Amino acid sequence: MSSAAEASKFFQGVTDTVCDIVERPWRRMPKAWYIALAISSCAAGLLLVALTYLVFTGIGIWGNNNSEGWAWDITNFVFWIGIGHAGTLISAILFLMRQKWRTSINRAAEAMTIFAVMTAGIFPLFHTGRPWFAVYWLLPLPNDMSVWPQFRSPLMWDVFAVSTYLTVSVLFWYVGLVPDVATLRDRFAERGQKLRAAIYGVLAMGWRGSGRQWHRFEKAYLILAALSTPLVLSVHSVVSFDFAVGQAPGWHTTIFPPYFVAGAIFSGFAMVLTLMIPARYLFGLKDIVRADHIEAMCKIILATGMMVGFSYATEYFIAWYGGNPYERFTFFNRAFGPFWWSAWIMMTCNVVVPQAFWFKWCRTNPFVIVFLCLLVNVGMWFERFVIICTSLTRTWTPSSWHYFKPTIWDGFTLIGSFGLFFTLFLIFLRFLPAVAMFEVKVASEHHHAGGSGHH
Amino acid sequence: MSSFESAISSHDPPDRLTLGPAALRLKGLGLAVGVVCMAVAIVWGLAIGDDMRRFFHSYLLAFTYFLSIALGALFYVVIHHLVSATWSVVFRRLAEIITGAFPALFVLMLGLVLPILAGSHSLFLWTDSDVVAHDHVLLVKQSYLNAPFFAVRMLIYFAVWMWMSRYFMKRSVQQDETGDVALSNRLRRVSGPAMIAYALTTAWAGFDLLMSLTPHWFSTIFGVYYFAGAAISIYCLLAIFSFALQRSGRMTRTISPEHYHDLGKMANSFTLFWAYIGFSQFMLIWAANIPEETTFFRPRMFTEWKWASLVLIIFHFVVPFVGMMSRHVKRNPPVLAAWAVYMLLLHAFDLFWVIMPAYSPDAIVFHPMDVLCLIGAGGICLFGALSVGGNVKLLAVRDPRLEASIRFINQ
Amino acid sequence: MASDELDNEVTAESDMLLPGSETVFYGLLAEYDSPGALLQAAEQVRDAGYEKWDCHAPYPVHGLDPAMGIRSTILPVLVFAGGITGTATAILMQWWMNARAWQWVASGKPYFSVAQQIPIAFELTVLFSAFTAFWGMWFLNKLPQVWHPLFRKKRFLKASSNGFFISVESQDPSFRRADTEKLLREAGAVAVEEVSYTTSPEQRNVPRPLLGFILLTTVLALVPFAFIAKYRTTHSDKPHFYIVGDMDFQQKRRPQSESDVFADSRADRVGVAGTVARGELKEDDHFYRGLVDGEWATTFPPQLEISERRMREGEERFQIYCTPCHGQAAAGNGMIHQRAMAVGAGATGWVQPLNLVDTTAQLNVVRQPHGQIFNTISNGIRTMPGYKSQIPEMDRWKIVLYLRAIQRSRNASIEDVPPSKRPALR
Repeated sequence: MSSAAEASKFFQGVTDTVCDIVERPWRRMPKAWYIALAISSCAAGLLLVALTYLVFTGIGIWGNNNSEGWAWDITNFVFWIGIGHAGTLISAILFLMRQKWRTSINRAAEAMTIFAVMTAGIFPLFHTGRPWFAVYWLLPLPNDMSVWPQFRSPLMWDVFAVSTYLTVSVLFWYVGLVPDVATLRDRFAERGQKLRAAIYGVLAMGWRGSGRQWHRFEKAYLILAALSTPLVLSVHSVVSFDFAVGQAPGWHTTIFPPYFVAGAIFSGFAMVLTLMIPARYLFGLKDIVRADHIEAMCKIILATGMMVGFSYATEYFIAWYGGNPYERFTFFNRAFGPFWWSAWIMMTCNVVVPQAFWFKWCRTNPFVIVFLCLLVNVGMWFERFVIICTSLTRTWTPSSWHYFKPTIWDGFTLIGSFGLFFTLFLIFLRFLPAVAMFEVKVASEHHHAGGSGHH
Repeated sequence: MSSFESAISSHDPPDRLTLGPAALRLKGLGLAVGVVCMAVAIVWGLAIGDDMRRFFHSYLLAFTYFLSIALGALFYVVIHHLVSATWSVVFRRLAEIITGAFPALFVLMLGLVLPILAGSHSLFLWTDSDVVAHDHVLLVKQSYLNAPFFAVRMLIYFAVWMWMSRYFMKRSVQQDETGDVALSNRLRRVSGPAMIAYALTTAWAGFDLLMSLTPHWFSTIFGVYYFAGAAISIYCLLAIFSFALQRSGRMTRTISPEHYHDLGKMANSFTLFWAYIGFSQFMLIWAANIPEETTFFRPRMFTEWKWASLVLIIFHFVVPFVGMMSRHVKRNPPVLAAWAVYMLLLHAFDLFWVIMPAYSPDAIVFHPMDVLCLIGAGGICLFGALSVGGNVKLLAVRDPRLEASIRFINQ
Repeated sequence: MASDELDNEVTAESDMLLPGSETVFYGLLAEYDSPGALLQAAEQVRDAGYEKWDCHAPYPVHGLDPAMGIRSTILPVLVFAGGITGTATAILMQWWMNARAWQWVASGKPYFSVAQQIPIAFELTVLFSAFTAFWGMWFLNKLPQVWHPLFRKKRFLKASSNGFFISVESQDPSFRRADTEKLLREAGAVAVEEVSYTTSPEQRNVPRPLLGFILLTTVLALVPFAFIAKYRTTHSDKPHFYIVGDMDFQQKRRPQSESDVFADSRADRVGVAGTVARGELKEDDHFYRGLVDGEWATTFPPQLEISERRMREGEERFQIYCTPCHGQAAAGNGMIHQRAMAVGAGATGWVQPLNLVDTTAQLNVVRQPHGQIFNTISNGIRTMPGYKSQIPEMDRWKIVLYLRAIQRSRNASIEDVPPSKRPALR
């Protein structure tokens, strides 16, 4: 057991390292952060332009058309929601499984979740064409002629699921933030920076680390973690219901819910690594976000990638086994039809690429990891694209068949969504503690240091 | 510091860590009861005179039930190594012993496959070539659903399962002697590919044994549904075995309320998982309302079977999930063991609900053969498991993470 | 000691004693150097019977709850209640809105379909539980409480980072200034300090800027609602705003409207000459037109299954479409004819519908080939309209099949009756 002095040094070290990112003067922020922020802000601006043009001109500026009613819009929606799931998994599920290594990344991962869900929410809202009506009609309010929403539709379930997910994620994230924001408050107070201390003080709500308050705090944290776990499973399952409840071949398979959830965790972890590996280098977090944590995440990526692969195998087998000619054709068409290239990208990136993580050197080389994780995210984007496009461009009636082409505005909206996400994340890195300091301290070996002997 | 913690400064003595002479007694009991019950069931089945149709459905129920338990145990072992779990070390040997039932299950599997190869049509519709010849849907999948390929697949599944269970158990027992950490590392490295093999074989076994009872029907999630039941079963069985062993004075200083708490948590989580899988399967098929898919649920919703479906929802999910939610229930070994028995009974009922409507779509028909086959298969599996692992220590005494596992405390 | 205390005060103007202000002695604050020391000290304070005291740590120290003697919180029970409320709300909401207030017909699913209500019920359960956990926890913790006497101590700023403290309030019944300090020191405190604070009337009140801010934001927040209320209750003669012009003034032509694209200014167009819609080619003359090699077909097309079942279907169609004029027995005395006679239409040129079974009539339908009858049904003849837009081809052939059966039955001899049924005729 470590001594009081060692523990004290460790705790102070954690506080100093993490708070420094928030406290340091603007001139000491890494140049890379400024460059990244500049690029992502431009992209976010592009999103604003794209959405404004969309609202004033109509969905026709996108490539969507009959029968391709959903295209990049819903692909992006499912993609971003999926990315958000890793954050909740790290925060909640790994907490329930008592995996201590999560404490170094869970704050950033939760932030990533919230920003990803916010970005995702843009798409179902704006793809309606008249989003102001969408908000009005989708909430349980009577509209003209006292008509209420139709609750038997998965699109309504989406409204409830995604908003619940966003709300609960924010609540959970905020609860975890309070003690750390209190730390920032106290450090600013110590240095005499009264305005910043006051702002953080309001956010910290007067937290003073009281043992009695910690007791209830921990209980609430555990409860929120226990709630978030089935919630994250349910949210992506509800998103999968958007497809699976219908009758379209390639969409209507019962394995969609767990398959989508596994895929979400898969892409989410890849995004976490894509964000955290540069961040830990730029901000000197290498001793907190350790190499073995990164390795553990690579293994999770491999595992969930295999689950996705298992789902592909099952889908293909049952499509053949079921004997339904439309179903068989759809899967044949995925691999050999006009969109064959997207299906092969998907298979390669989702099934073949993660295999690299069997090898230790792949799991420990940061450049390799980031590169592979980018491929994984590409693969997962293509998975949703394949599911949506191949089924919609080859529906039952051949007269409706055509080739889908995205327009430049589809591209701008997608790039813009990345811009929004990264902008929010970069701002978060600057203004809020990127690592859950108190959780790192609890999980550390020093957490019961000192005192006379084992209690 | 709990009083339990101070007590475990010394472990259980070695004689409290094996079954000892009880193993032989249990083996004998298992074999005797198993063979007798099975024989009575066979005779009864012949006596009914329906070409053994009823018998084979009961037999399938018993076979898939105990297969699911063995598969659950195999899952427990593989996932334990895969994630290098700490708390589960104390139970791992018990799970390994349960996987020793695979050879016995292999024999039981022959009891299913050999009659099919010999031409019996009593169980699966697709084995009847006359039926297949006039049924377009069955013709189209004939290259998969035919007796020889079915037999080959069963052999492959069992080869994989038996090889895996033996591999893990052998090295685990070896570690009892040598304490070699390299063995743990080896098992961890193997557990990745092993999990892949496990997933594929379990899912496809579910398709072959259970989904093909309704050969026009298909559901991609069915393999996962079978797995979910298996996962609940193993945690429940471990709770029961631990309680029984501790009652007999064994492992009293090794297993604590903390471990029961975790078993309970896992059983409860998988109950929720089972409900989630079952619900997705049902709701998606019900909502789309496509006749070729709804054939599975029609008898289970509109005939007498609807009561069974209701029982399944309420008593396999709602009641145990709420009942086992409280930590006081999970930390109380006799109460948890009682819930575990309850869940194992409901798991049998779940498989009954999957299988029997294929035999009798309009009415729920229990038959003493169901119970006889279950007890029979259970006895044979008990005999088989103890033949393989009856003499090993009940605890992986030199596992590197054992100490941490014993001292483990829930939050 | 006194100078230590002065150094440790957080400097503020409010330290000056203003008229109406008072100094309140809050209690003692003791610092410990490690979590382990904190736990041991906490146990001692607990055992000494103090109630109004607390520990402060930068993270939840394991074992602190039993060391302080904290009872388990009621929060889980509240959360459970919140969750159940969520479930009930969701189910009730969906039932009332979709099955009672305005019954939505959606793909024939029952109005109250439990399976499809479960996702939302689940989400609301989780949402309500989460809100209860969140608000309940802050409420039970009595937060936000932005100000606290302990924040006056500079030393206490470490509590959120690296410091472990015990504070004992002077309000506690067991509190004795000297004894309590002794207890804290003997438990291993690195330092023990007094905590006091001064209050002034100005400090007790909410600061003016903050009050102003709250008032201003409240008023501003009400503005949108005021607008909504105004527009929902008043009428306006002005046209409404067209925010998205494309939506309200669409570049499409409606039926029966003008178009300046075409020479005849009509928006309605005829189909392009020579095109055939998919599935409309209808090359099979026999089936679609009753013709074989240009002559009326004398056989039924192979698509028609000659069976009792098709006969019955033909009978049904015949009853629906043919009997009003031609009568149940196809003798031309259907209800329309009877009515025509009853109103005296015979005097004004009414032509009786044809007797389809009479071989002696001038127009002997019994002799006509199947194809000719089919053509008559499709295209009409004389005053009979064509039925091809109402009856699909297969059904027309079934009517012909049935008609042949009637014709045979009305012109049958004893030889046509199967021997087994002949006794019944007598």
